[in-house]
Amino acid sequence: MAEPAIEPIHQFRIYNLFDFGTFGGNGAEGSGTTIAFTNSALFMVLILGVIAAFLVLGSSRRAIIPGRLQLMVEMTYEFIANMVRNTAGTEGMKFLPLVFSLFMFILVANLFGMFPYFFTVTSHLIITAAMALTVFFTVVIYGFYKNGLKFLKLFVPPVPWYIIWLIVPIEIISFLTRPLSHSLRLFGNILGGHIVLKVFAGMVVALIAAGAWAPLGVLPFAMTVALTPLELLVGVLQAFVFAVLTCVYLHDAIHPGH
Amino acid sequence: MSEPRNENRPDFDAAAKRATADLEARIARARQQSPASAAAEPPRQGSMSGLSLGWRLGSEFFAAIIVGAGLGYLLDMFLPTRPWGLIVLLLLGFAAGVLNIVRASKELNAAAAVPPGTPAVLDKDDD
Repeated sequence: MAEPAIEPIHQFRIYNLFDFGTFGGNGAEGSGTTIAFTNSALFMVLILGVIAAFLVLGSSRRAIIPGRLQLMVEMTYEFIANMVRNTAGTEGMKFLPLVFSLFMFILVANLFGMFPYFFTVTSHLIITAAMALTVFFTVVIYGFYKNGLKFLKLFVPPVPWYIIWLIVPIEIISFLTRPLSHSLRLFGNILGGHIVLKVFAGMVVALIAAGAWAPLGVLPFAMTVALTPLELLVGVLQAFVFAVLTCVYLHDAIHPGH
Repeated sequence: MSEPRNENRPDFDAAAKRATADLEARIARARQQSPASAAAEPPRQGSMSGLSLGWRLGSEFFAAIIVGAGLGYLLDMFLPTRPWGLIVLLLLGFAAGVLNIVRASKELNAAAAVPPGTPAVLDKDDD
């Protein structure tokens, strides 16, 4: 019983809640694609439900003097809207729905992850990579749609001709780096934070079980208490950072000249 | 939502009007009662914990090397350039990583407040 509770990776396991069936394959064990509703999917649905409830309930009264909930919704909207306007420019406001959705999803997912026994959706690279690639392809497609081939000027900074052949490949690699670092940062922060939290919390259990060493269990417990608000901060901050970088990248798509 | 439109509407909520009549005075009074919170408010934005700063810069550098090496490996798979594609693009990946870090720290420096006591004269490298 003690073994799985202390194991810090256990919290990230994905399991099927129910199957929709297996498609393709030859009927042998492990062949074909199984479509299933996993715990990850369940939490994503819950997250969307919470966001929808927050926004719909908050904006349904539309009072001139906002109540607390309405004020929270309005402040969230204005916070993101100002950020998009400042970072991506006024033209970037057409991407406000994208940035706002990403921010709210990551924020609520990270905050959900702080509840004991809850699954943290953003601790899986596939989720963050999907969001980062969405942003990346939005930038590439909109950049070419808006600017045509002038979008390629993004890779040609104003430098002398004799080093341009070296700079252009570096710029291209730097551009291709974006989805990777964009997704790795969120994933790494959340994964690392949750593992550290779990390791310290596991130490408390192990020390108490060790009999004579039990009083020392106060130390990792204090650490766990200190790390919990830090994780809350990291969760909010990473949602913000993801949204800001989305805006920075969108700015490049709208104005490819440096 | 603007003021004149509300005045023209006959069904304008009288209760709301009464509630906002002394709002300004009430806000001023509340501000006076808690001067500390009002003073400490502005510089909070844009601050980052050391951990997330490290992750930011680290992932920028790390990702560039991975992308460079990956591109080089792919190039070698399809062209008869083995092993030069991997070698050259890995090195270019390092260069791109440094470029990423320089850009990220430039952004962070621009976002951070100017420390007090900084001379107002521009460095000749700044543009």
